[in-house]
Amino acid sequence: MRLGFIGLGAMGQPMALRLLRAGHSLFVWARRPERLQALIEAGALGCRNPAEVAASAELVFTMVTADADVTGIAFGPGGLLHGFAPGGIHVDMSTISPQTTRRLAQRWAERGIAMLDAPVSGGVEAANSAKLAIMVGGEARTLARARPLFEILGATVVHVGGNGAGQVAKACNQMVMVAAIEACAEAMRLAAASGVAAERVLRAVMAGAAGSRVLEVFGGRMTARDFAAGVEARLHHKDFGILMAEAQRLACPLPVAAQVAQQLDALMALGWGGEDSASLLKVLEAAHA
Amino acid sequence: MEIGFIGLGLMGRPMALHLARVGHRLHLWARRPATLEPFREVNAHAHVSAAEVARHAKIVFTMVADAPDVEQVCLGEGGITEGAGPGAVVVDMSTIAPAAARDIGVRLAARGIEFLDAPVSGGEVGAINAALTIMVGGKPEVYETILPLFEILGKSVTLIGDSGAGQVAKACNQILTGVGVAALAEAFNFARKSGVDAARVREALMGGFAYSKILENHGQRMLDRNFRPGFKSWMHQKDLRIVMEEAHRLGLMLPSAAATAQMFNAMVGFGLGEEDSIAMLKLLETMSGQA
Repeated sequence: MRLGFIGLGAMGQPMALRLLRAGHSLFVWARRPERLQALIEAGALGCRNPAEVAASAELVFTMVTADADVTGIAFGPGGLLHGFAPGGIHVDMSTISPQTTRRLAQRWAERGIAMLDAPVSGGVEAANSAKLAIMVGGEARTLARARPLFEILGATVVHVGGNGAGQVAKACNQMVMVAAIEACAEAMRLAAASGVAAERVLRAVMAGAAGSRVLEVFGGRMTARDFAAGVEARLHHKDFGILMAEAQRLACPLPVAAQVAQQLDALMALGWGGEDSASLLKVLEAAHA
Repeated sequence: MEIGFIGLGLMGRPMALHLARVGHRLHLWARRPATLEPFREVNAHAHVSAAEVARHAKIVFTMVADAPDVEQVCLGEGGITEGAGPGAVVVDMSTIAPAAARDIGVRLAARGIEFLDAPVSGGEVGAINAALTIMVGGKPEVYETILPLFEILGKSVTLIGDSGAGQVAKACNQILTGVGVAALAEAFNFARKSGVDAARVREALMGGFAYSKILENHGQRMLDRNFRPGFKSWMHQKDLRIVMEEAHRLGLMLPSAAATAQMFNAMVGFGLGEEDSIAMLKLLETMSGQA
C-alpha cells in the first residue's frame, strides 16, 4: 500500500520504520528535515509538504503533539486537504481532544475523506517492539482497511466507537495511568517520610492486591531516582488539559483527575516538564522541608 | 455623552439604564430585539449592528457571556472595528480569560482603538443598585477618561494594572467566592449531619475569624433554602473553567479551586446549573444520603 507518515518523533519514527519494513511504500514529511534522514535511508520518500504526502498516498498517518498541529497538517496551507483524492484516509494516532477529532472527521467527511482517530498507549518501548495498544474511533469499514497496518504497529487493536471514541478511550487511559503514578509517588513519599525503605515497600506491595504495571515501572524509576524521560511529563500535562476541558464541557466531575492535574501543574512550574512523570515524586518532596 | 452598550442581559440592562438616567444618550445593538424593550422610555437608539453603534458613540461598553462573544462583537463581521474611528474606546465588562482580553486589546490597538477590561463583582443586585465592584485593566490615561462612567455603575472602582489585569482580579474573586461557597456548604452539611442546627452555627461564627460576607449572605440564603439566582451555578462553572485554563497555561497549581471546579461540574451535570451557586448545599446533601 502507498502510505504517508507525518510526525517522526520518538513515537512516530519507529512506527514509520515498521510500516516500511513490512513492505509498504512510505511518503514522509517533517517540520524539521533532519527527522527524515533515518527514514529516507531506509527507503522512504521525502515530500515537501503534507499535501504532497497526501497526493502520493492512499492513507496518511499523523503522529504529532497537539490539536493545533493535527488541524494545521490537515487543513492549513500545504495541508493534506490540498493533496488527498476522494476516498483517502487520514489516520491520526496523536493524542488530542475528542471534540477536535470529531470536528476534523466532520470536515473530512464533507470532502469524501475518511478519518480514524487511533491514539496509542505503551510509550516508546511499545512503539519499538510493535506492542502498542491502539484505540480506534471511526467507521468499521474504514478500520477494516487500516487494520492490517495497525497490526504491524501494535499488539491490541480495539474499535471503541465512532469518530472521537478512540480519543475518549485514550483520555480514560491517561486518567487511570497518571492517577496511579501519583498514588505511587505518594506511597513512595509516605514510606520515605516514615523512615522506611521505599524499595522494600514497593516489593511487598507489588506482591499484593495493589500490584500493577505502573507500580512496577514508575515505582522502579522512583526508587532508582531515574527521572530521564520515558514519556515526558509535559505531554501528560497536555493530556490533562484535554481531560479537564472535557469534564467541564460534559459537566462531569472528575475530582481525583483534577487533583492530579494540579500536581502536574506544579511539576511544570518546577521546571520538570522534560523529565519522566516519575518526577511527580519530586513535586511531593519539594513541599517537604 | 454618546455611549454605546452591547449586551443587555441580566447585568447589562440595569447598567445601561443607569447610564441613560444620568443623561447620557445610549446607542444599542442586541442579538435579540426583545432585550431592547426596556429602553423605549429612555434616551436610546437601536442600531442594526455593533459597527453602527461604534459609528455613533466613541465609547462602547460590552457585557456579554464569554470571550468568543467579545471577539465577535469587537472584531467580527459587522463588529465595532468596522464602525469605530480613531480614539474610540471599548470597555469590556464581561468576565473572560485574561489572555483573551490581552489579545483583543492588542488587536484593537492595531486599529487605533483603546481597550479596557473591566469585569465586575456584585451580581444582578449590585448592577441594579449601582453598587458593583469594578476591576480595571488598561492604560491609566484611558482609565481616567472612563472613570466618571464607572462611578455611575459601581461604588468601588480600582485600576489593577495593564491590559488583562482586571480579568486576573476577577479570576481571583471567583476563586475566593467559589471556594468560599463550597466551604460554607460543607460546613453547613457537616453541622446538619452531626445533628446540630446550622443557623446557630452561623450565628456563632459571625462574630469570629470565619466571618465573611459569604457566611452572612450566602449562609442566610442556604438556611432559608432560597436557591434562586443570584449568581447562577453554570456561570460560576464557566468562570472556574477560565481560572483553571489559565492555571494550566501558567503551570500553576490551584488544588482547592480545582476541587471546587469539579463540584460545579457536578452541579451542572445534576441539573442545578440554573440555580444559585449556593445549591452546592443540595449536591452535598444528596451525596450524604439525605437529599
